[in-house]
Amino acid sequence: MVHTLKQEEMSPEISSSFKAKKFILWLFVVSSTIMFGGFTSYYIVFAASKGKGHGLVLPEVFMYSTAVLILSSICLFFAAKAVRNHNIQTQKIFLWVTLALGLVFGYLQVDAWSALYRSGATLVNNNAAISVIYIVSGMHLLHIFAGLCFIASSLLGAYRKVSSENAVFRIEIASIFWHFIDILWIYLYVFLLLNS
Amino acid sequence: MSTITLNDTHHNDHHDDHAHGHHEQSFITKYIFSQDHKMIAKQFLITGIIMAVIAMGLSILFRIQLAWPDKSFPILETFLGKWAEGGRIKPEFYLALVTIHGTIMVFFVLTAGLSGTFSNLLIPLQLGVRDMASPFMNMLSYWFFFIACIIMMSSFFIETGPASAGWTIYPPLSALPKAIPGSGLGMTLWLVSMVMFVASQLMGGINYVSTVLNMRTKGMDLWKMPLTIWAFFLTAVLGVLSFPVLVAGVVLMIFDRSFGTSFYLSDIVMGSQVLPNEGGSPILWEHLFWFLGHPEVYIVIMPALGISSEVISVNSRKPIFGYHAMVYSLIGITVLSFIVWGHHMFVTGMNPLLGGVFMITTLIIAVPSAVKTFNYLATLWRGNIRFTPAMLFAIGMVSFFISGGLTGIFLGNASLDINLHDTYFVVAHFHLVMGSAAIFGMLAGVYHWFPKMFGRMMDAKLGYLHFWVTFICAYLVFFPLHFLGLDGVPRRYYAFTEFEFMQKWVTVNIFVTWSAIVAALVQVAFLFNFFYSIFKGKVATQNPWQANTLEWTTPVEHIHGNWPGEIPTVHRWPYDYSKPGAEEDFIPQTVPYSETMMSNMPHDFEGNAESERIQREWDAKNNPTKVNAEFH
Repeated sequence: MVHTLKQEEMSPEISSSFKAKKFILWLFVVSSTIMFGGFTSYYIVFAASKGKGHGLVLPEVFMYSTAVLILSSICLFFAAKAVRNHNIQTQKIFLWVTLALGLVFGYLQVDAWSALYRSGATLVNNNAAISVIYIVSGMHLLHIFAGLCFIASSLLGAYRKVSSENAVFRIEIASIFWHFIDILWIYLYVFLLLNS
Repeated sequence: MSTITLNDTHHNDHHDDHAHGHHEQSFITKYIFSQDHKMIAKQFLITGIIMAVIAMGLSILFRIQLAWPDKSFPILETFLGKWAEGGRIKPEFYLALVTIHGTIMVFFVLTAGLSGTFSNLLIPLQLGVRDMASPFMNMLSYWFFFIACIIMMSSFFIETGPASAGWTIYPPLSALPKAIPGSGLGMTLWLVSMVMFVASQLMGGINYVSTVLNMRTKGMDLWKMPLTIWAFFLTAVLGVLSFPVLVAGVVLMIFDRSFGTSFYLSDIVMGSQVLPNEGGSPILWEHLFWFLGHPEVYIVIMPALGISSEVISVNSRKPIFGYHAMVYSLIGITVLSFIVWGHHMFVTGMNPLLGGVFMITTLIIAVPSAVKTFNYLATLWRGNIRFTPAMLFAIGMVSFFISGGLTGIFLGNASLDINLHDTYFVVAHFHLVMGSAAIFGMLAGVYHWFPKMFGRMMDAKLGYLHFWVTFICAYLVFFPLHFLGLDGVPRRYYAFTEFEFMQKWVTVNIFVTWSAIVAALVQVAFLFNFFYSIFKGKVATQNPWQANTLEWTTPVEHIHGNWPGEIPTVHRWPYDYSKPGAEEDFIPQTVPYSETMMSNMPHDFEGNAESERIQREWDAKNNPTKVNAEFH
């Protein structure tokens, strides 16, 4: 969408390669969604057959971490907007903020685990539904790590002053992935809230 | 006509300055960490062949045990040491053998070896692309696969031996490291290897899908793609949608094994010790596993179906019968394969109503499968058949697909399956329909595209020997197993002499084992043919089979970027064989209709009124008989 502006400067091969690579990311998003679908279907079938879910009141920290993640997505949105307006300074600021919020999110998740642990809902548990909470949030955290790498690559691009189509490409990759893991987390959180 | 166009594309060499031209490459970037799809295809193929030979060797070992359970073979002890003390294979090692045989064959040979080779080779070449969407990821895909192979094989060199819980690794056997020797480190290595393997398949599959959808050459719309590409594309889609579920299952399994969670475990007493795990269910693993596992068998067979479509059409010198039906049946199989996994689990205490649903969806798959089979036969019907080795293997593939597919209808019925579950009937069924059929499809592909891969021809006479002995022996090995299964003989049993009702089958086992040994020996003819021909085979011409698809318009000499000049434009579908009025019995996809005025049909123009008018005028002037026959 965005790089149509610059289409005439870009060789068709590079543009098609960017397009294909973005498509690859979308396919990864699909397959990753399915993996989490696997975890949550495990949960649904488990809960249905045992007649019980995790039965917990989820720690409040999860609420804060969700808010932080949503905020980081908004920042990334502004960073992407800045790239399109060729405003490198704003882009850098927003990317740094996104990166920081991502790290805060990671910290809060670990904090939520320790809250769970303190309340007696440990990973090793005779209620597998509780263990699932750790698994899905842990696997999600791995995605966060990958997402931080994409954001860092976009940030690195800004400092190295890569060509504008390359910058757009990098921020688009980061945006697709980051917004995906944002939505993914909201899905997981709501899922765990509804299926207690 | 056609030759002229072909030459055209080659002679306007050197006029464009792609980044892809001939650049100097070191040995390492050219042969080892290559990002060129053709080299990666060869890497997949040769690794696949090596793994196939290993897995076949393992099968011969356990076949020897089944045929002569009481005999001692001192040579086995020489090679296997304590796993065959006194020259007899131990029960634990027998289980490891069947497990690793199954794992290697299903995943490493027929998934990676088949899709990895031919998707990599043909997707860019048949679609007119210079390379994959992400050549780097493609390279990673091979190296993850390679590491997975190494890890899997390394489990033969550890104290406790390889994983032994069967290729489906059902818990609790697989989830309790202390259950049997094979559940220890061997199982851990199996899981690590599979995680690597899934990563490899996802990188490969995502790349294939992206390349097919985004990078086709000018004129190559989806309905002009060869059926091979349709098959590889849908296979990759299946992989991308199903492998992640295996990852989910495997992650939970790893936590059960190593961290003490209870996802799949409950109420287990080991020896005199009651395990603390409570509340999990092994059935949940079966659900997650078979949600991948069933699409997986189509991941195995669909590339073989695609390759056969192409090979049969080329060598019958006829358009494939029912091109659209072939595509829709592939799509049908793809969609249905996701809603049939329950038929592996009829005996798990499933609700009979749910069993009925899974039974119906399973039986519906017979419809697209039969469409494909009949279309193959109709393509062969009154064709001008060339019995090349590739053609024989493709026909063999159809034969196995029919004979193995028919027993699938038996097994899909819940009421019959409850009796036949886990017997040799199942073993016979899947070895024919997905084992033999898929390997024959793969071999058809190897014989057919060998000239494209290595620029040389394989020896046809050795190919015929390879085909006939393998074909006959495969039936001799797997057909008798149906009768064992109908008699209730369970699979994975170590010695038939231990059970009164199974003893009468030992003689059949001897026959089956001899057939398997002959089949294994004749593969030497193939291996010799394959490796000898790479270096010393007859040099191939550019289009040795007179085929229409784009890969035969590339020069015999491989170059990075595939086409020296501009990428050819596609004007027609890939199956214009023996078209009435054409000068030759094949018209490559690159030939425009304007050069084949004699053979154009009204439907070729897909309702384009202007083209139809031009054709009509031309026919009126040059070919009055045709006007009377068709345009009136």
